[in-house]
Amino acid sequence: MAVSPYCTIGPYFPASFVDGCEDLTHHRGLVAQGTHITLTGRILQEGGVPTRNTILEIWQADANGVFRHSLDPRCGEADPGFTGWGRARTDAEGWYKIQTVLPGSYEGRCPHANLMILAIGLTRRLVTTVFFADKPDDVRDPVLDCVTDTAARRRLFARRENSGEYRFDLILRGENETPFFLD
Amino acid sequence: MPAPTIDYQPYDDDSQLARYIDRYPLSFKRTPLTPLIQRPLTLSERTGPSGTDLFTIGPFDLSKTTETAPRATGQLIQISGRITDEDGSPLAGAAIEIWQANSAGKYIHDMDRHNAPVDPNFTGEGRLVTDAEGKFQFFSIKPGAYPVLETGWWWRPPHIHFSILGRSWMDRFVTQIFFPGEPLNETDLLLNAVPDREVRDRLIFEFEGTSMGEVNAMGFRRDFVMRGHRRTPEMD
Repeated sequence: MAVSPYCTIGPYFPASFVDGCEDLTHHRGLVAQGTHITLTGRILQEGGVPTRNTILEIWQADANGVFRHSLDPRCGEADPGFTGWGRARTDAEGWYKIQTVLPGSYEGRCPHANLMILAIGLTRRLVTTVFFADKPDDVRDPVLDCVTDTAARRRLFARRENSGEYRFDLILRGENETPFFLD
Repeated sequence: MPAPTIDYQPYDDDSQLARYIDRYPLSFKRTPLTPLIQRPLTLSERTGPSGTDLFTIGPFDLSKTTETAPRATGQLIQISGRITDEDGSPLAGAAIEIWQANSAGKYIHDMDRHNAPVDPNFTGEGRLVTDAEGKFQFFSIKPGAYPVLETGWWWRPPHIHFSILGRSWMDRFVTQIFFPGEPLNETDLLLNAVPDREVRDRLIFEFEGTSMGEVNAMGFRRDFVMRGHRRTPEMD
């Protein structure tokens, strides 16, 4: 059967579908295990121009590297206080902010989170992966290793700021463009 | 029992809208210049959020804000459909987010500057979940057309937005579905950004006829096919 066509999310995605989804650290009255972090940054289009009203979604493992999904053999151990999914919207300056936990590593993968971007001008979603590591150049990861350009590879790591926040900018097009994956 | 392994292929460009659309300037400012990079699909990409775990499902009738509230202005419609994968297997328990303009072409959204009236009896938002056969249905009001003011010429034909949380990050899916026979369908930049007629038709509801009696509504149907084939055991 032929796959359905994707189409842009448009400018009018309801605020009620975003509100509260920026915080992954609580679920049904439970607090997520592990290190709580803020992942924040700007989503910019060509020329470094901020994109307002862009929707960013995140999917990640919990602090122990377990996905809350039946395909994960360790699913039964998944943190009941953490779903692994969140959503945020950029403001007029292109900023997003997500409260989450530092994802755990698991066999074969370095700590990371899957990201997708939906916005006007994009007929399909853009997907990438943000990585968390103190020494990015030492990391071996099967997805990261597909990015062969050293500078581009470094752009997939969140930078820990003095404030303790993790900064990750997404540059959709142009200079210092973020690597995006075939989807 | 372990979950079945699903084989996902990248979207075939021939089955999708073009990434660059003439007269849609943002497509040229936001589409990456660098070719998209192929990656292996690991557990991380093969898993994904479960919408039913995340969302409160409902309402199933968007034409009223509460059971006893007056009906919103406009044509009552019943939308139904089914979500399957490429093998035709139903996607049970998939969450669907729907949103749309009211009958005057107005959204409840801080970015909407169109001077059409808000309907106090209509929010245009709902969340559904597919049943064991992958089916869904809801009532709503037929959305109006509206201008894209920044362009000075482009009017969007009536359409309903669908966001689907399927079984993994790979079939996280978002689209818009249009109504058959609308004159603005012929000029819409998005609907016409597809390579062929058959693909275009997959973005348009089928008219399912009318119902009369307890419910008086026009029926429309749209099935969705999420990517993914079940891998046969001998391939594992």
